[in-house]
Amino acid sequence: MTDKHMADQPKNIVELATFYIGDALCGMDILKVQEINKLMQMTKVPQAPDYVLGILNLRGQIVTILDLGRKLGLGETDISQDPRNIIVNSSGGHVGLLVRRISDVVSADMKKRERAPANMSGIQGEYFTGVYKTDDNLIGILDVDKVLSIED
Amino acid sequence: MEIEDDEILQGFIEESLEHLADIENDLLAIEEAGANIDEDLVNKVFRAAHSIKGGAGFMGLTAIQGLSHSTENVLGMIRSKKLIPTPEIVNVLLMASDQLQRMIEDVHNSNDVDISSHINPLDAIADGTFSQPPMEPEQKNTVQAKPKVTVKPEAVEPVFEEPEETEEEYIEEPETDEDEETEPEPEPEVTRTQNPVPEPVAPVQPPAVNVPATAAKQAPPAKTETSLRVHVSLLDSLMNLAGELVLSRNQLLQTIGSDDLRNAEAVGQRIDLITSELQEAIMLTRMQPIGNVFNKFPRVVRDLAKKLNKTIDLTIVGKDVELDKTIIESINDPLTHLVRNSVDHGIEMPADRKKIGKPENGLVILKAYHEAGQVVIEISDDGKGLDGEALAASAVNKGLITAEQAQAMSDKEKVNLIFLPGFSTAAAVTDVSGRGVGMDVVKTNLDQLGGNVDIISEKGNGTTISIKLPLTLAIIPCQIIETGGERYAIPQVNLEELLRIPANQVKDRVERVGDAEVVRLRGTLLPLIRLSDVIGADRTYYDYNEQDVKEDRREQIADRRGRNSPLFNDKHSGNNHRNQSPDRPRSVIDRRSSASSALNIVVVSTGAMKYGLIVDRLQDSEEIVIKPLGRHLQQCKGYAGATIMGDGRIALILDVSNLARMAHLTSIDGSDRAAEVAKAAEDAINAKKDKQSLLIFKNSREEHFGVPLNQVERIEKIKRSDIEDLGGRRIMKYRGGSLSLICVDDVAMVAPLADDENLLVIVFNIAKRPVGLLAIGPIDALEVTADIDDTTLSQPGIMGSIIIDNNTTMLINVFEMVQNLFPQWFEHQEKFDLSQIEETGPPPTVLIAEDSKFFRNQVKNYMTEVGYNVIEAEDGLEGWNQLEEHADEISLLVTDIEMPNMNGFELTQRIRKNERYKNLPIIALTTLASAEDVERGKAVGVNEYHIKLDKERLMVSVHDYIKRRY
Repeated sequence: MTDKHMADQPKNIVELATFYIGDALCGMDILKVQEINKLMQMTKVPQAPDYVLGILNLRGQIVTILDLGRKLGLGETDISQDPRNIIVNSSGGHVGLLVRRISDVVSADMKKRERAPANMSGIQGEYFTGVYKTDDNLIGILDVDKVLSIED
Repeated sequence: MEIEDDEILQGFIEESLEHLADIENDLLAIEEAGANIDEDLVNKVFRAAHSIKGGAGFMGLTAIQGLSHSTENVLGMIRSKKLIPTPEIVNVLLMASDQLQRMIEDVHNSNDVDISSHINPLDAIADGTFSQPPMEPEQKNTVQAKPKVTVKPEAVEPVFEEPEETEEEYIEEPETDEDEETEPEPEPEVTRTQNPVPEPVAPVQPPAVNVPATAAKQAPPAKTETSLRVHVSLLDSLMNLAGELVLSRNQLLQTIGSDDLRNAEAVGQRIDLITSELQEAIMLTRMQPIGNVFNKFPRVVRDLAKKLNKTIDLTIVGKDVELDKTIIESINDPLTHLVRNSVDHGIEMPADRKKIGKPENGLVILKAYHEAGQVVIEISDDGKGLDGEALAASAVNKGLITAEQAQAMSDKEKVNLIFLPGFSTAAAVTDVSGRGVGMDVVKTNLDQLGGNVDIISEKGNGTTISIKLPLTLAIIPCQIIETGGERYAIPQVNLEELLRIPANQVKDRVERVGDAEVVRLRGTLLPLIRLSDVIGADRTYYDYNEQDVKEDRREQIADRRGRNSPLFNDKHSGNNHRNQSPDRPRSVIDRRSSASSALNIVVVSTGAMKYGLIVDRLQDSEEIVIKPLGRHLQQCKGYAGATIMGDGRIALILDVSNLARMAHLTSIDGSDRAAEVAKAAEDAINAKKDKQSLLIFKNSREEHFGVPLNQVERIEKIKRSDIEDLGGRRIMKYRGGSLSLICVDDVAMVAPLADDENLLVIVFNIAKRPVGLLAIGPIDALEVTADIDDTTLSQPGIMGSIIIDNNTTMLINVFEMVQNLFPQWFEHQEKFDLSQIEETGPPPTVLIAEDSKFFRNQVKNYMTEVGYNVIEAEDGLEGWNQLEEHADEISLLVTDIEMPNMNGFELTQRIRKNERYKNLPIIALTTLASAEDVERGKAVGVNEYHIKLDKERLMVSVHDYIKRRY
């Protein structure tokens, strides 16, 4: 479902799960989140792209963990700082997105969403479908499909 | 067309397809029976057609109804024996049933299909106006033209919808026929399967021009069925087990609440049992008889044989063998391909067969059976077989291998060239050998299934292709290994053996050829790959003492451990650190000698080739469940998937054929390397000229001694107290008898044996008796060049001296020592009596050709000792000249192999070719009698081989030949 599609809906309040990638506060539709985990024991996958941290066993499902920091060009997420895994169910199976810290759930009116800047705290604008301003913050709304895409 | 009730429609489709599957084989049986109409069979087909007609009418599928009605009419006439089912009539019926199948598979568009091309001939048959067999290609073609236009655009590719057309053109374009199978495929299927094509050619490309065989071969896997028939009893038992599981769960919850450990254990066992049973039962639901695939082959073979004007019998064995559904589905295309190959290229034309005395009817056998937990499918034909030489020549022409590589290949490897990507395009191969349409794709497909393909072919006598498949893909036994601190699983089907090379043997058994490392394994050379290098994991080793994984520090030891050898250059490794290390030759040979540096090698095979995978540690073998990797890891070609281990962690499953590819190792490389190694070994032998293996030991602390290693039987460690002094002789108990012990200082003027508590006994066998030489360590075995000084230190018991590591080492002549100490041992030995010969003339003369003065003198001494005359030659050429000069005197030649100017082989060859000397006995002496050398020697005409300095054997055979001579 694209955001454009949502914007056409009469009621367009979306709950955003927000989290920090580096210093950027990002958000995604909470309905896309299956669960949020602490970092569990992972198996390294030699040969994998550098943003793939490893794979782990989530109740019998093999989940690929992506370091969002790396994937979005901010550098490695510090594992010692108790990062979290956001497990999303993407088309190619379960994927875990490692983020620095989880923040609040924010109800956002998609009508008030604005175009993403070319760069937001070091993350390229192309990864966002837009930004949403709250009273004290700017939330970049992640384009999850884009983030999960595999560039060649 | 809108059809209201999807469920009923789905039911109709499934039922009809089942009917149609039966109809096909039944029609073939009817054709076979000809005028001998089997009423039951016809009835069955009739009823099937009738059911389809009825269902279609109910659903409003008029086209299907119409066609099945016409079919039914014809069948009705056959049933009432108004019509005799000629092949032509059956053909029309078969095509009608094909058309029915196509329409039913695309039910929503079926009413728009023009079926007149089928109905007309059917009605003509029914009317009795069917005279000219409509099978004539021309006629077919024109009739077919219409439906092409009318088929809805959704259909994949209308051109392919017409099997008749492709059939007719089959001879020119064998591959188009393949597409017949693909035609019902919805579009996405086609594109998907395109990916693995090595030379991608869109399958929808019109078949008019050279469609490379690979494209056709690419036929998408059979359409995946979404539903499955399972026996109700099986479902019942599943239901039962599920119920049990729920009960056990309740029990478990209870026991957890009550803290009752013993009960918990019992519940645990129960759950364990139920889970296993459940798993088994579920696996059973997925098992399907391979007959589902085999059943279509009678038709395929019949049609193709007809087209090619061949007569071919197809025998099918083992229809009941069951395989996992996914395998059944994916095996379809490779099998079709192989069967078609057999029919098209394997079986000769009837006339040709007759000429070479084969029955006119070709035979293709399709066979499935269980073997060692796997299913084997064999496709064999009695056709012309594969010509390895022609295949190799063709591969060379195509630039796939070099002529040298081809030469180094075994016959089997040559036949397996057919699997090389890019090897086969129909035309090119047909010219040469007549085989090999897209076989590489067959192999790729089967590899994906975890299967193995093997070809056994004898030129002129047919080909057997055997495919080994796992019973199921879901659960596979695997060997678990560890590298870089992570566990990996290697499927047992790929596993040949596990090999551990102790640290102290690594040096001897692992060799380097070019950039590759190989290990000697029972006489063959096995290429080695280090797993950590290929996948780019950290190089580690497992420390058995500390039970821990440690980083392999060897790369920091500057001299030999550069990581960047071309073999291990791996573009997939994203880790850049590897590229920083200097490009230095690396080698497994290293300096560490602890148990941890032993090499653990998993010998894996990928069908045609075998290689060794070096891993840190070997663990258990386990049954694992394969889970797919996420799409972010699809680019990691080295893995076939992942699995969850007992401790909840994940292990990656290795794909051994891709690993080989990543390491740039192909079987071609393998043989290439083997050839190089063979050459290197030959060079080494040449360089080894007059090398002598010596066992080095000491008698006193100061003096070093050596003895030819090949004379040593064994070495024992003893205590001084083990020695008994009896009757002035030293003996010890040894293997149930007593062993006479001697010391170097008993005979030679050397320092006495050191007064050590721990002694060594070097056991020799002299005059058929064991004798022990007392010595002290350290002992060592080494190879030295034979720069032996036989004058300076020569004395009784010492034959000469040699400088090893700056120590003058005296070489012991054990034979002489024993002769000195126990002369009585030799009394009973058969002595060669020269007196008779001497009466008739001078003593026999032996020619000795040997470039090393030391050995020449030794051998000369042996000879003169017993009274022979000796003529010496310093090399082969001189030996030849001496022979020419003293031809009449010389009775025997004793020659070294490695000599300058002319070596022993050449000398022998020259002698054997010369009428004058060809009967001269020749004894060859070598330092190391390798089997190859012996073979070669025998081939050129050497009578016997002896190891240098093995005086006894040499003399026995010299006597023997001399005796025969007189």
